[in-house]
Amino acid sequence: MNALSVNVGSVNLKSPLILASGTCNFGRELSEYYDLKILGGISSKGLTIKPRAGNPGVRVAECDSGMLNSVGLQNPGVDYFIENDLDFMRDSGAAVIVNVAGHSYEDYIEMVKKLDPHKDKIDALEINLSCPNVKEGCMTIGSDPSAIRYITSELRKLTDLPIWIKLTPNVTDIKATALAAQAGGADAVVLINTLMGMRIDIRTRRPVLTNNTGGYSGPAVKPVAIRMVAECSQVLDIPIVGCGGIADYKDVIEFMIAGAFAVEVGTACLVHPALPVDLTSDLEKYCEDNKIALKDLTGTLQRW
Amino acid sequence: MSQKQEYKIRLVTKEFLNSDTCYLGFECPGIASSAIPGQFVNISAGTVFLKRPFGIASVDKANGIFYIGVKIVGKGTSEIAKFEPGLTADCLGPLGNGFDFEGYDNIILTGGGTGVFPINFAYETLTSLGKNVTVCEGFRNASQVILNKPGYVLTTDSGDTGIKGTVIAGLDTLEIKDPSNTLVCCVGPIPMMKAVGAWAGGKNMKCLVSMEQRMACGAGICLCCTVKVKDDGPDGYKNVRCCKEGPVFDSREVVW
Repeated sequence: MNALSVNVGSVNLKSPLILASGTCNFGRELSEYYDLKILGGISSKGLTIKPRAGNPGVRVAECDSGMLNSVGLQNPGVDYFIENDLDFMRDSGAAVIVNVAGHSYEDYIEMVKKLDPHKDKIDALEINLSCPNVKEGCMTIGSDPSAIRYITSELRKLTDLPIWIKLTPNVTDIKATALAAQAGGADAVVLINTLMGMRIDIRTRRPVLTNNTGGYSGPAVKPVAIRMVAECSQVLDIPIVGCGGIADYKDVIEFMIAGAFAVEVGTACLVHPALPVDLTSDLEKYCEDNKIALKDLTGTLQRW
Repeated sequence: MSQKQEYKIRLVTKEFLNSDTCYLGFECPGIASSAIPGQFVNISAGTVFLKRPFGIASVDKANGIFYIGVKIVGKGTSEIAKFEPGLTADCLGPLGNGFDFEGYDNIILTGGGTGVFPINFAYETLTSLGKNVTVCEGFRNASQVILNKPGYVLTTDSGDTGIKGTVIAGLDTLEIKDPSNTLVCCVGPIPMMKAVGAWAGGKNMKCLVSMEQRMACGAGICLCCTVKVKDDGPDGYKNVRCCKEGPVFDSREVVW
């Protein structure tokens, strides 16, 4: 029995560690640092119907304990991905999570229609309703519960693949958006994408990012993510994949106690590419020392 | 296929070249033995979140030491400049594609600012290979001149030492005998590299430039450090990663 194995609904993962979308491309570059088969899964770079060049100019601004990015979903397009990257991900030995982004309902529907025929190579679709760096779609849909419910139910009709909805923290009530995803037929929700932020160069009085705003990620956002996972865990029947600021094994434990069934690790890998190697051995040691299977931690939060 | 790794490097030498620029030597045989000119390393810098990229300035393979130059411009570089010998840091490298000198007997190396560090590594490598190397470097004024060697063509904006003007004024003094067998390599500020690329193109010489962009990972996974290059597609350009496809590009491919 593997102490690290977890399930996200019907998806069995040998480890709770999934590389977060947008921080690992399609895994190829990181495979130069370690064997990807130690991972539970890899969530692909956010894909769109057509290739996207992404945003111009400065795309990263360092912050205290994290960073802002405004990459703007640069990606080669779903067709190129299917042709050139999907098999690599499948062969990596980690579960294949395909991150699907769009500008409109039609975009998401078209994307899922293109991906469904390749379902034998895909373990789950992660529907990105939360990218803050594109002008239309994504976060615009993802902040409106009725829009989330609508698009989720439309996608549900098109595929048997597990549908994970990746939600934005840039809302007043995360429970409302998570419940909308569940009502639409989602198999899981992923919490959270980045927090919208801005940094200003006081010399020029211009935003550091050419896109003006960007998404804040890194250890600084972890308490926000933990709170949202814990809140949603109280009201949802579907599993949660936790994401936001994970940098060591204790963060993984914290997310699982809050209610996560698995976690995504992202920004910390930009600083330490082989971080999942350390996380894996530290989690194994934790399970051994505490004589516990990791999945038994999920939702064990003891509230005051 | 795992082959790259994150190193723990140890500072072994440190000297200030002028008031705001220092030259650091780190012990790391893995990097010292494999780096080529134009490649860079990403080094953790005290309390700041992201690593900082530095072009490799020299290697001492026998002792397993590589060198970088650090100009203090912000929090990360000032923290690294405070490192004292014995201190260790996390480091990724060597990263990116270096200069490809293959097929050329004559190399013109030119640059300015912190670009003179990778130029120094290229100079040392090429002279050891017996290539015909000419170096032309430009600085704002005499107080900024660093790593200048006898025989280098020197220019300053102020004219208080060397030729007055930009590196183009220095390059114009060179006699180009065999342009098709001469490669120009430039590392410096964007306007300098753009001007040098145009200068070389005007004389039918290929010019390689080492681009710089704000970088997060250095490993090709975040897509933050993109550079615009020409493309046959509908946009006429595409964004490629400075850290992975670069930092060295053919100047004719860059959308300036």
